[in-house]
Amino acid sequence: MSRVQDTMALKRKRGDQSLLTQSLGDADHNVLNIIKGKEGRGISSGELKKVSNLPTTQFNKSIKTLVARQLIKEVPNIKTSWGKHYMGAEFEPSAELTGGYWYADGKLDQELINSFKKICFQILQQKLKVATAEGVHSFFIKRKLYNGEISRDQIAEILRSMVLDNQIVEVKSTGLEEYHSIPVGEVCYRCATGGGLGETSKTKTGAMVSIPCGVCPNIRLCTPDGVISPTNCVYYTKWLDF
Amino acid sequence: MLTTPSQHGIKLAVNLISSYFGDIVAKVCECLLRKGTLPLVQIIQFTELTKQNAVNSLLVLIQHNCVQAFATQTEGKFGGAPRISTQYMALFDNIIHHLRFPKFIAIVNEDLGKECEEIFVWLLQDGRLSVNDILERHKEPSRNSTASDAFHECFRKLVNAQYVERCPAHEPFLAPPTEEEIAAKKRAAKFTKKVEDTIEVRALAEASPMDSVRFLLETDTWTDDPEQKSNDDSSSLAAAGEKRKLDALESGTKDWATNQKKEVLWRVNFEEFVRRLRHKSCIENVRARLDAGAATVLGAVLEATRRTETKVKVENSVPLSIDDIMEEVIKSEEGRTMNSDRVRASLAQLGCDMPSITGIDETYSIDLKRILELAQIQEVESIVLKRYGREACRIFKLLLQADRVVETEMISKDTFVDKKDAATILHQMWKDDYLYMQVMEKDKGKQKYLLWAVKKPVLWQHILDDMYHAALNLRLRSAYEQEKDKEIAQLPREKREGELGKRFEKWRKIRLVLESSLMKLDDAILLFNDF
Repeated sequence: MSRVQDTMALKRKRGDQSLLTQSLGDADHNVLNIIKGKEGRGISSGELKKVSNLPTTQFNKSIKTLVARQLIKEVPNIKTSWGKHYMGAEFEPSAELTGGYWYADGKLDQELINSFKKICFQILQQKLKVATAEGVHSFFIKRKLYNGEISRDQIAEILRSMVLDNQIVEVKSTGLEEYHSIPVGEVCYRCATGGGLGETSKTKTGAMVSIPCGVCPNIRLCTPDGVISPTNCVYYTKWLDF
Repeated sequence: MLTTPSQHGIKLAVNLISSYFGDIVAKVCECLLRKGTLPLVQIIQFTELTKQNAVNSLLVLIQHNCVQAFATQTEGKFGGAPRISTQYMALFDNIIHHLRFPKFIAIVNEDLGKECEEIFVWLLQDGRLSVNDILERHKEPSRNSTASDAFHECFRKLVNAQYVERCPAHEPFLAPPTEEEIAAKKRAAKFTKKVEDTIEVRALAEASPMDSVRFLLETDTWTDDPEQKSNDDSSSLAAAGEKRKLDALESGTKDWATNQKKEVLWRVNFEEFVRRLRHKSCIENVRARLDAGAATVLGAVLEATRRTETKVKVENSVPLSIDDIMEEVIKSEEGRTMNSDRVRASLAQLGCDMPSITGIDETYSIDLKRILELAQIQEVESIVLKRYGREACRIFKLLLQADRVVETEMISKDTFVDKKDAATILHQMWKDDYLYMQVMEKDKGKQKYLLWAVKKPVLWQHILDDMYHAALNLRLRSAYEQEKDKEIAQLPREKREGELGKRFEKWRKIRLVLESSLMKLDDAILLFNDF
């Protein structure tokens, strides 16, 4: 569970930049200044073309030159899946563009998220039993479970997502028994004792999903004497094929 | 308390009536369910049945507690005398209860034993019976006087447990409100927003025997001579509207009603069974979601307060002191290991507020509505999970918790679902009526945002209708399988070998799966409709 964050490699010294910009034409300079002016927010290719007011051929040529000289870079923008987004090479894309901590290359870093979920679950199940987001975060820090930086809020995001997955439950501390170390009324998390709907569910399956009609995509078309009916239903036939 | 049936609810109810009482009775039942309360003339008009058939069907439905009659007074035309007419209303919930008779029988068997079960089954089969009707049945050649004593004891047990009750008035009279009453209502309406009861609700309330009479078992009822006791019973039943209504009965039902009036009729008290199943559902849900300790404490609280519940759908358990809870908890085997701290911790788990100082005026009331709500959510989530997948289930739960509209991007962020995937899932669920969508425009329509929400009451109705549909399908498939392998089903035991034996085993397995699935599905229907 590690993300390579060698940001230094992406940065360029100002001295090097002046050498690279020396042979640029006016149009290239103009484009470069617009892009740099946007700092970490960057600019979409459409907007850049509109602002620079250059003919398409000249515009494409300028972009190509600037990218080749590593003065600008193309960055992913999670808000739009189409078009390109440019930014000065010395800037880091803002969280608005990248999606924030849980995104890598414009995509959700599911591997990282799942790793955190797994560790949080183990912490709650085997070590803390009941804990606040702060408690889980402190455990991370004390035991040095992650080399990178992770904030309390990010741990809270993970825990909230686990609640949505029914892996853990959100409860308020009663101050009694296992909650004795947590102030009364504070939001805390614990493993779902009944099992929830997670993959390791111990609870009984829902009544509807244990019969074919419960999840049938054609239920609206099904009538007693219709083309699709319970007597000629293929899902029923398969279900009752012992 | 009266449920408006959904389309598939009606279809299931009609299917039940058709299979128990035939197509003609089912036709009358369907007419009442679809068109609402009607007088006999209109029932004949809509069903195109003969008067005799319509009247007989109504009598069957009334006998089996599926229809309630009541009389109303309307103004006479052209200054004539007021007219009294009999209306018939279908009792949808009571019809659906026929589906769960095996559950009711199991409860009686477990609680009161085999002998009580026998009497109880007769009541289920016949709908309404007098004590003497039951006694007649009981007096079969093989039985002796000791058995007769045992019968009386069993019947007393059934009444004491409130499993059976006196039948409601056959045809209560709903008098038109006086001018003073109308004026009082208008005055009250200015201050309260209470919706006025429908005529059906009023009729049911009027028909119900008073609480003091409902479970009153008079020992003089236990004579072997029905004629002798008829007068006494009629006096004990004499609800104010009883005599008044008799003049108004329509000719078809007049004789029947007059005969019935002579004896106290008893029927199964569905309300008590729904209450017990509701309690059981709450306890089992808590056991699965929390732990055995919390389930034991909840069971104890519900057992101690059951008789004091004023209606089935109570939102909170009747407040009980910690001493009374402890007293009830230690009655059970699991509860004997629990001390008061453990009981308090379980009460806290059940959502009870802990008093700052324990011991002084320490009473607890458990939020049953919340427990049932969580059980309903669990059922719906399991459907969403299986139909749309894990990510969809996460999104659905987020929207359910939010209880307001949420924008696609925010949903994507909070659920760790890629925005594009989230949009696809949301659209699919919206198409299937699981979600509500709202388009929000910004910058004079240049930018559009999609907002999503779960509209719980609408969705819950939709899910319940799907459940009725699924239950109907299970019944239809079950009937089809029985019909298809009729010969196999009737196969004598000695011939169940080899290939025929295998086919019999398969037939038995299919029947078992279909019937057990229907019972499980009915638990979910109860959860969404009756609890």
